[in-house]
Amino acid sequence: MLFPTIEFGIFFLIVFTVSWAARWTPHWRKLVLLAASYFFYGWWDWRFMGLLLLSTFINYTAGLGLARTAHPALRKLIVMLAVTGGLAILGFFKYYGFFLTSLSTLLEMAGLERDLPFMQVILPVGISFFTFQGISYVVDVYRGHVRAERSLANVMLYISFFPQLVAGPIVRAADFLPQLHRAPVLTRAHVGVGTVLILSGLAKKMLIANYLATELVDPVFFDPTAVSALDLLIGVYGYAIQIYCDFSGYSDIAIGVAALLGYRFLENFNQPYRASSLQDFWRRWHISLSTWLRDYLYKPLGGNRHGEARTYRNLFLTMFLGGIWHGAAWTFVFWGAFHGAMLGIERYVRRRLDEFAPPNSEAGGFTSAIGHGAQHIVGVFWTFHLVCFAWIFFRADSFATAGSYLAGFARWSDPSQYATPFLVGLIVLAMIFQFTPRDLGRWLAQGLQWLPSPVLGLIFGGGVWLIWAIAPEGVAPFIYFQF
Amino acid sequence: MLDLIREIETDLEDGWEAASRVELQTAEHTRRAVARFTRALWITLAIMLVFNSERLVTWVNGFGVGPVQDTVVALSVAWNERMLASGFAEPSVAARGKINELRGASWAEFELRVDSERARAREGARLLRGGLGGGPG
Repeated sequence: MLFPTIEFGIFFLIVFTVSWAARWTPHWRKLVLLAASYFFYGWWDWRFMGLLLLSTFINYTAGLGLARTAHPALRKLIVMLAVTGGLAILGFFKYYGFFLTSLSTLLEMAGLERDLPFMQVILPVGISFFTFQGISYVVDVYRGHVRAERSLANVMLYISFFPQLVAGPIVRAADFLPQLHRAPVLTRAHVGVGTVLILSGLAKKMLIANYLATELVDPVFFDPTAVSALDLLIGVYGYAIQIYCDFSGYSDIAIGVAALLGYRFLENFNQPYRASSLQDFWRRWHISLSTWLRDYLYKPLGGNRHGEARTYRNLFLTMFLGGIWHGAAWTFVFWGAFHGAMLGIERYVRRRLDEFAPPNSEAGGFTSAIGHGAQHIVGVFWTFHLVCFAWIFFRADSFATAGSYLAGFARWSDPSQYATPFLVGLIVLAMIFQFTPRDLGRWLAQGLQWLPSPVLGLIFGGGVWLIWAIAPEGVAPFIYFQF
Repeated sequence: MLDLIREIETDLEDGWEAASRVELQTAEHTRRAVARFTRALWITLAIMLVFNSERLVTWVNGFGVGPVQDTVVALSVAWNERMLASGFAEPSVAARGKINELRGASWAEFELRVDSERARAREGARLLRGGLGGGPG
């Protein structure tokens, strides 16, 4: 069930009504939301509901085990078993085919061809997200950030809660579980925020992402040798905007839907293309994943506490594994490794520059402000183009396609087919919203929260109607569903 | 109404001292917010049914074959025809037409459009100046 569909509209109307009608008995309300979440997940393939249940049960049992023992070695063993169990399930479904294909190629190159046990393994929707949430629960309990849940229903709801189940944001146990212990509350602010986020998410996904995908990105990436350099440039800019609008649109709707059900999720995107460095970019892009990787991978690896060389290694490893998390393909491995390497280089250059000219030794005043401004603009431009370069590998189906794409930048004399006012306008419009005030959405929500319900209904209904009326026919799945 | 009955029951079960004034106020705010957004959702549904009936037909045509599905399809088609006859589908058609016009526009057409907008703005400004100046001439 995709968010921008009639099915989801009807589903949400029922869940909203029934769950709030059951608010006087919080236990029943949780069961209603749990049943709705499993129904939502089973809509794709009911067989994988068992997998979701298994993953939840492993983490729930580990949480109980951690609560009952104080022995450090045993506690470590429990965490290790739970994390290994979750990652083994993820690894089998996500990387089995990739591993065997790569092994087969390797053996072939070495002249040792073998019959390998290839299988068609279907990738369950959202497996990466619910596995990471399960790990978050066990590790948070181990670290004492959250108490182990006695109620299986609470852990089940935390892992399967439908707004974030299939494509995030990755919600932390320490953020979500305490909300399940409080009485559900819906305020005017929740309604305002929910309305603005759902409308903005639908507009991003259904208008900007879908038009750019069908009319620009898909044809350009299908055969990069058939188009001009200008088309390739517009194509990669278009993809940068498409993936942002697609994924942040999903996150907006998820956060908005959760808000309307009385739960608060943290923001997942914060105008990432206005970042003036790669480090800044990763603080703004897919925040729930980057903070997850920071807290559960980068810091346990040692973070920046064991000298320069170990810091670079940890940065690289974190981004490399982040790349693999996105998908079982060498192009994703390259994408992660590239980001890891560039983050390391950026850190090294910044440290050397700081040694050469310490930031606090600079003279203040007008000249300095101009210098900082220029530096910032160059930083934004440079970061955006580095990110776009990496997106080529992320989007291309193989290194050969990515290579053709890059080679095509020599064809500047060819006429452009795709640089139309409509497509360029969509890209420019989306880029403008990267530089608007950060609180624009909050101001709009504050404006909406005091409107009488008929006016609110007209704005919400009118917005949904307009988006549906002018969106392309059909509903393309969200890009992050495949991860 | 059901909410109200339920609220009274809860009060009677737990006793007045069981819930603090703040909790009661929060519960009341929640009740109002839920009612408010429920009304907004129903208005949204009505708007979609009236102004977007064409997509409703597309959606129900994806259902399988069976007596219930056939009835739903027939009802949706009849509803859409009624909406088309009443002119409620026209805003959707107009909006779609406008976006298709934009999609198909070339840079030359875009420049022409910008020029005509500029000319219109100049004309507006001229009229405004004339009005302020007490008439042309």
